[in-house]
Amino acid sequence: MSGESHAAAALFARRWGGALQSALRCALSLLALAVIIQALFVVEARPQDLVTGIRGMADFIRRAMPPDFSRLPSAIWPMLQTIDIALFGTLLGTILATPLAVLAAANVTPSRSAYYAARAVIGFTRAVPDLVWALLFVTAVGLGPFPGGLALGVHSVGMLGRLFAETIEHMDMAPIHALELTGARRIQVFSHGIVPTILPSLLGISLYRLDENIRSSLVLGFVGAGGIGFQLLTAMNLFQYQEVSMLLIIIFLVVLAAERMSAALREWLA
Amino acid sequence: MLRVRGLSFRYPNGKLALVDFALTVEPGELVVVLGGNGSGKTTLLRCITRTLRPSAGEIWLGDTNLCSLEGEKLRRARLELAMISQHASLVRRSTVLRNVATGALGRHFGWRTALGGLPASELKAALGYLTDVGLADLAEQRAGMLSGGEAQRVAIARSLAQRPRVLLADEPVASLDPEACQEIMRLLQRLARSEHLAVLCVLHQVELAYTYADRVIGIRDGRVAFDLPRDQVSREAVRRLYVGEAA
Repeated sequence: MSGESHAAAALFARRWGGALQSALRCALSLLALAVIIQALFVVEARPQDLVTGIRGMADFIRRAMPPDFSRLPSAIWPMLQTIDIALFGTLLGTILATPLAVLAAANVTPSRSAYYAARAVIGFTRAVPDLVWALLFVTAVGLGPFPGGLALGVHSVGMLGRLFAETIEHMDMAPIHALELTGARRIQVFSHGIVPTILPSLLGISLYRLDENIRSSLVLGFVGAGGIGFQLLTAMNLFQYQEVSMLLIIIFLVVLAAERMSAALREWLA
Repeated sequence: MLRVRGLSFRYPNGKLALVDFALTVEPGELVVVLGGNGSGKTTLLRCITRTLRPSAGEIWLGDTNLCSLEGEKLRRARLELAMISQHASLVRRSTVLRNVATGALGRHFGWRTALGGLPASELKAALGYLTDVGLADLAEQRAGMLSGGEAQRVAIARSLAQRPRVLLADEPVASLDPEACQEIMRLLQRLARSEHLAVLCVLHQVELAYTYADRVIGIRDGRVAFDLPRDQVSREAVRRLYVGEAA
């Protein structure tokens, strides 16, 4: 083929390639628009209801003001329960997730079957929402904070296990291989090589999870798993809106404090 | 001390990386291996540590043929064989002292070391090895804070903590500045003499080989091209090791 024919073929390919790309971009935009529109239909989005509903919202806020701080002492114990549910859940999740993560990390797992089994457990505990775990544990051990703690613990296994495993998979393996060559046993390589390398990251992830779990444990109270969520639901059902607003303020302050403390600790560990 | 006889290694893709390779390193001797990229230098060290399983041949460490060992017996035999590489490979968040003491882990087993503890005797000994490499004042510093040269000296101290009879070094100065290169080579030479270590060191820097090696082994296409005392190695013989590499 002559040089001229080559140039003509290249020009043809460039023109049609550009046209094809534009058509593809247009089709993808239409597809994205269609997905958004179907979502609006499925959720029955009615923005006008928001406008007409403002009066109802305003009425709720009016009845919730001023917050009833005389009920504050009765909120302290449930709030402590909420924080402790999150603490218990995070601790349980961390303890269970650590060995699972070692099995589920491709670079340190002792065998392929252990890898797949650990990945399956992590995937399952993560896929089932904490609210569903709470309902299951309430059925098993009754109402109160204990099923809430268990629910957060089991759900955290999935979240923490995945993040811990990824941390292990991305760590620098050179010091680990160097330790193996000294004749150290597998458990010694783990405790002297892997643990010091990944510990700050694992603690950071756990602290982040604690912050998330404090927020989750509020909702768990709605299904009878104890804590301030249960008190909030009771106050709502009894139309005690001034107590509701007081509880919301307390929740906001605790969540904010937990978030700040978690962030500060993670920064310190980094 | 270290004797390699008839060592061959073939990669799964069929490429023959070592062919009937032989060498000996005596205690107190520093032997340098020179060769171009892909000539088989690193494969040789990986076969000696049994990270790779040789296709044929024998690797004698004293009276023990490493090629005949597997599992726990191999692990125990390997305690006498320390290895340092281009990168110091330290646990960056641990202290320098702890990094050095971990070299002795293979000699201890119990709950204490399994759970991250180290025997007090090994920590004390580690301080001695750090003194040997001139870094005792950095013992409590985090390993991640060290310069490249300091980190490599700590890696050497860690290999001493292993109390080996043979020290293998795979391009230990490849990522260091010229001054640090001289420092590390001087240290390896001194340790070979004072600790009666058999040191086998893979290098790319020909001048360092001429300065510090007792013997130089040239390797080309996985075969021994020459094995001579330093002062008998001609520049032409070394040049031939690298001919064709740039092509």
